[in-house]
Amino acid sequence: MTENEYSLRFLNCELNYLSVTDGSAIFMQGDTAVIAGVYGPVESKLHKMFYNKANVEASFRPMKGPPSVNDRLMESYIKDVCEASLITSLYPASSISVNIQELEDCGGLLASVINASCLALINSGLAMKFIFAAVCCMIDKESENVIIDPNMKQLNNAKAAFTCVFDNLNKDIICCQTSGRFTEKELLKSIEMCRETVQTIFTFYRDIVTKYATAI
Amino acid sequence: MESQYKTIHPAKYLRDHFASNIRPDGREFMSFRPVSVCVGSITKADGSALVKIGNTTVVCGIKAELACPKAESPDCGFIVPNVELAPLSSPKFRPGPPSEESQCISKLIEKILINSEAIDLKSLCIHKDKLAWVLYCDIISLDYDGSVIDACTTSLMAALKILTLPTVDYTPETGSIKIDKKNRIHIPLKQLAICTTFAIFDNQLLITDPTEDEEKHSLSTINIVFNEDDMCFVHKSGGIPVSQNLFSTCIIKAKNHGNQVRKLILAAVNCKT
Repeated sequence: MTENEYSLRFLNCELNYLSVTDGSAIFMQGDTAVIAGVYGPVESKLHKMFYNKANVEASFRPMKGPPSVNDRLMESYIKDVCEASLITSLYPASSISVNIQELEDCGGLLASVINASCLALINSGLAMKFIFAAVCCMIDKESENVIIDPNMKQLNNAKAAFTCVFDNLNKDIICCQTSGRFTEKELLKSIEMCRETVQTIFTFYRDIVTKYATAI
Repeated sequence: MESQYKTIHPAKYLRDHFASNIRPDGREFMSFRPVSVCVGSITKADGSALVKIGNTTVVCGIKAELACPKAESPDCGFIVPNVELAPLSSPKFRPGPPSEESQCISKLIEKILINSEAIDLKSLCIHKDKLAWVLYCDIISLDYDGSVIDACTTSLMAALKILTLPTVDYTPETGSIKIDKKNRIHIPLKQLAICTTFAIFDNQLLITDPTEDEEKHSLSTINIVFNEDDMCFVHKSGGIPVSQNLFSTCIIKAKNHGNQVRKLILAAVNCKT
């Protein structure tokens, strides 16, 4: 394995980007950029209220146009991943909303969205069981090599693409999304490679949070 | 006594069953419910199938219409899958516009169909840039008792397998369209994608083919879709983290189950034709 295979695109992040939200982050991975804002815990609407836990909502706004059916799936990924990591039972009968605005998609949008929402959740100070990070990878059509964190140009030559979300405790799989056709071996190998890369993102989180720690 | 216990404390009811290594419906953890497939149940549709997985019942009907292809893909037809979770099937669903869940399932089914490359959209084109088929695949749940994505995928694949389209005579010069409804042709289906659902409970307990009660109390679900010789979709939207070992177990189990269901569909189709 060369060093290049495991490297991610350039990561960049700014916390407290929005003034009104309880936690916010603007996150860039290569040229893919998203803004995440978290509100919560706030009073929940009656019909969405749970007496024993918080209701987690996610909303995703695409770069242009109103949200469509295509974005519902993205919202369900964000909601389920955030809900898994938050200790929702600490905030009964309240609501936590995670809002994401896409700024630019140059490949690996889901991974960036998940990473941005994790940073926003950390920034909001809500109680979490673990933190999570997503890595996107793909299998090249011709060379059949696994490429970590591909850009849009590379994705056009993909046979299959995977996005995996891991927790920071045991590096277990929280979320997995695939496209294209692939074999079992390719899937397991790709997940393994994503897992080996994911520590870079956790280290990045740590650096960012330390950087802002004095300001908070 | 048991039914009261189930109503009052459903989560503990499930847990107690699991503690004695059995599921509430008497199955073992890794066993499946019986699957039945009936093809061609709607005679007015161009292709249809009714699938039952245990109590879960789903019917799929395909109607074909003619349309002009998109300018960016002039030699491709369209497939529009749509899943309707009818209020009849579960008290969870209300009449009205499609719920978030049914929108998500529709999108998932569409992704499975595209990723599996089951149908070549080019085979739906009649005349380049002028005329192509649109296949409206309407999937309706009649009884919602868990693993509904499995049932939807199976019914869609079975319906596509027996789909026949009328032959169309198109004259580009005059734009006249002649449809011969008697003379019908099959659309080649290259793959039969089969989905398998897993649910995960405390202590990484894995069960296959969960019912609605089990799904509701599970900490996470995984959907794995297999083509004949490769995989085409893995979906785990969140929930409790799972280890790589458990993931590999799911894959092996999904492959075996996929092969069995695939045989079943082919048997059902062969009986019909």
